Amino acid sequence: MARSIAIVEDEPLIRANYVEALNRFGYETRGYGSRGDASTAFAMRLPELVIIDIGLGDEPEGGFDLCRELRAKSATLPIIFLTARDSDFDVISGLRLGADDYLSKDTSLHQLAARIAALFRRIESLKAPVSSETVISHGPLKLESERMRVLWNGIEIPLTVTEFWMVHTLVRFPGHVKNRDQLMREAELVVDDATITSHIKRIRKKFVALAPDFDAIETVHGVGYRWTP
Amino acid sequence: MTLRQKLLLVALCTLALPVAGWLYVRQMETLLREGQAQALVASARAMARSLVVVDAPLPPAGKAWYIQRTATAITMDGYADDWASLSPWAQPFGKNARVMLSEDDHWLYFYIDVRATNRRRADADDRLALNADHLILSIASGDDTQRYLVASAAPGPTTATALDPEAGVLPDRINAQWQEDGSGFRVEFRMPRGLRLDRFGLGVHIAAEGDSNPLTAESRPLLDFSTSLSQEVARLAPDGVRVRVLSPEAWLMAQSGKLDLPNLPASERPGWFASLVYRSLLATRLDEDGGWAEDAPRIDLPEVREALLGKPATAWRAGEARGSVVLAAAMPVEMGGKLHGVVLLEQPSRAVPLLANRALFGLMLTSFAVLLVAGGVLLLFATRLTIRLRRLRNAAERAQDNDGRLDGPFPLTDATDELGDLARSFARLFEVVGGYTDYLRTLASKLSHELNTPLAIVKSSLDNLDHAGLPPEAEPYLARARDGVARLGALVRAMSEASRMERAIASAEAEDVDFADIVRGCAEGYRGLAGDRTLDAVLPPTPVPMHVSPELIAQALDKLFDNALSFTPPGGWLRITLTETPEGADIELANEGPSLPAAMQGRLFDSLVSLRDKATPGDAPHLGLGLYVVRLVAERHQGTASARNIEGGVAFTLHLKGLPRQRLA
Repeated sequence: MARSIAIVEDEPLIRANYVEALNRFGYETRGYGSRGDASTAFAMRLPELVIIDIGLGDEPEGGFDLCRELRAKSATLPIIFLTARDSDFDVISGLRLGADDYLSKDTSLHQLAARIAALFRRIESLKAPVSSETVISHGPLKLESERMRVLWNGIEIPLTVTEFWMVHTLVRFPGHVKNRDQLMREAELVVDDATITSHIKRIRKKFVALAPDFDAIETVHGVGYRWTP
Repeated sequence: MTLRQKLLLVALCTLALPVAGWLYVRQMETLLREGQAQALVASARAMARSLVVVDAPLPPAGKAWYIQRTATAITMDGYADDWASLSPWAQPFGKNARVMLSEDDHWLYFYIDVRATNRRRADADDRLALNADHLILSIASGDDTQRYLVASAAPGPTTATALDPEAGVLPDRINAQWQEDGSGFRVEFRMPRGLRLDRFGLGVHIAAEGDSNPLTAESRPLLDFSTSLSQEVARLAPDGVRVRVLSPEAWLMAQSGKLDLPNLPASERPGWFASLVYRSLLATRLDEDGGWAEDAPRIDLPEVREALLGKPATAWRAGEARGSVVLAAAMPVEMGGKLHGVVLLEQPSRAVPLLANRALFGLMLTSFAVLLVAGGVLLLFATRLTIRLRRLRNAAERAQDNDGRLDGPFPLTDATDELGDLARSFARLFEVVGGYTDYLRTLASKLSHELNTPLAIVKSSLDNLDHAGLPPEAEPYLARARDGVARLGALVRAMSEASRMERAIASAEAEDVDFADIVRGCAEGYRGLAGDRTLDAVLPPTPVPMHVSPELIAQALDKLFDNALSFTPPGGWLRITLTETPEGADIELANEGPSLPAAMQGRLFDSLVSLRDKATPGDAPHLGLGLYVVRLVAERHQGTASARNIEGGVAFTLHLKGLPRQRLA
């Protein structure tokens, strides 16, 4: 049975495009134009993945409210923020509310589909046992490619899919410097340099929050970043 | 010139007050003086008439010999030493002779000095004496007259012999002293006063000058200070006036009265300052000091000279006592149409200067006080005005530096005067400017935000179109549409980049790092991008520890490098130089390429300023934000960014001081 996805987007043209595209990718997609519509629908049945626009009609922060509502209902429901906004502040707010990813409307439908697939894959793989071939270990770091999980000293670091891909890119070739372009490509991210910097910053913060002496991601100024084992 | 100086200059206008007062006092004084002078002239006229009427012993008209009183004893030796005190008033005679006469209680002394360089000498008893240099003397007492011949071939005592038959009491010979030197000869002799001489005649005959009549002598009456005339004058003289009677040759004949003023108590006596003020401001028309004429036997003053010509005259001169003036009036005394002398009245007074001084002093003090007060008030006013203007200007400048925004209210807007109006206008103006600047600042990001949605529609539609089974001939159009959208997207992102960068820069965190390390890393990274262009990195050998945000520095360097690279021709050179400065570090990125136009150098680091030619099709758009970001980064690090032309290229420099350390709470 096809997985169900809900798109909450106030702009009908974009909503229609996304719905049609995702349907084509084999998902059962429904679009909602406002927070009210979406809430009513979700009260009856929760979809398996929700894509939310932050600004909804008259409510500039409507997406955040909806996210908070959904998170209260289900702790594991994958939520992706999709917005025209691109300020760090919005990104941080969204992620703090428990969104699994954050994409700008610049992102192509293919990239969106890749992320959705990855999120579903992660949910799937969490149910299955860990297969050893897909696990990369470096000292305290344990990276499960299939489940898209990163563990540091056995504790899971709550990374988003984008962030996981970045860490994955760095960790696969420890000591190699990855420049911003490479990171962007690997993470299927269309952003500018500054966004890469803020992503790295956030990844570091997430590690540091659990391991205060974390310093494995090194900045090579003017070039990029590398993983120092 | 500042406002304050100008107002002080205006305050000088009050100086007109004392000037006007001074003119008034001066005029008043002139009037008073004229009145006083006229009164004295009237007295003098009355005096002169009285002298004639009472038949006082007036001096005779015409020329006369004046006999001076001597204080020193005169020795008969032919030398002038003992005549020294009298010599200033020696009476000239003829072309080359001077005569001095003096008297004591018993004798009448004569001293005759003749200048003659070309001499012919003979003794008096020589028969050729009349052809040689000689003097003819003539004396008269009452009706008796006698003439004497004086001549000598050698210096020493000589005898003058009478030429006429014996005449009454007059002696037939006179003993004289003859002295001579290269310039001439001198004769000195004396006659007893008992002879009661009333005329004396003299003839100087120099052989070398040729003389047709060697026996002539010019006879003139003898005059001296007359006690009887003095008594007569004293009877007639008004009080408080000194009266002097002068002969037609201005010799002093009689005198009465004194110039003394009654002594004033010290408190009323004018001080030296008042005298000075009087002299310098009012008494400018006082005549030369006539003090030297006080004891002189001859009163040679301008007003006397004028009176001797027959006209009454007056003069003002400073008195002997400090602050006093003397008014002199000279009036000719005429009898039978002939000038018999001059009456000189001198009236000392203090009244006029005192009056003038008091008035002037009061005026000066008052106007000076007014001047001070006016100046002070104006200075205070000007200072207040200047301070207010300065506040207004500072606020305006601060607002201007701050893109039209002012922290806090605009000053002086509560004032009710024109400055308040100006301040309110300024406030309104800056409000408008500030709003406009804000609008401009946010326009790009607002616009990009608004553009994002339609862009997403186009983009997602194109993505969907991929799967709509388009005919193959439509594919290129799809690709072109995609390309266009991509460029539009890049443009929109660039538009919002500045505000995003501003936020990012403001929230950047600083670390203690080795600055050289950052620059080295960046330079390594750029080497790959430089292609066939050479890139040198000149770094100090020692670490450069600084408190900076490495990400921001790297970003700024990226922008600079990107900028430099695009201007460097293929095969050209680039150079990164890091120098440590006392306060931080300077990074310079120089490159070969066209130099900067001078007009752009100041604005290069402003937002939305670009030097590039219009972008070639397909290039990423340039909105001139790169160098603006560089400037923001430099400013965040308490530094500046500058650009200059160098030999064969340009150099961009960042002067950095490091981020301020945050205090740990």
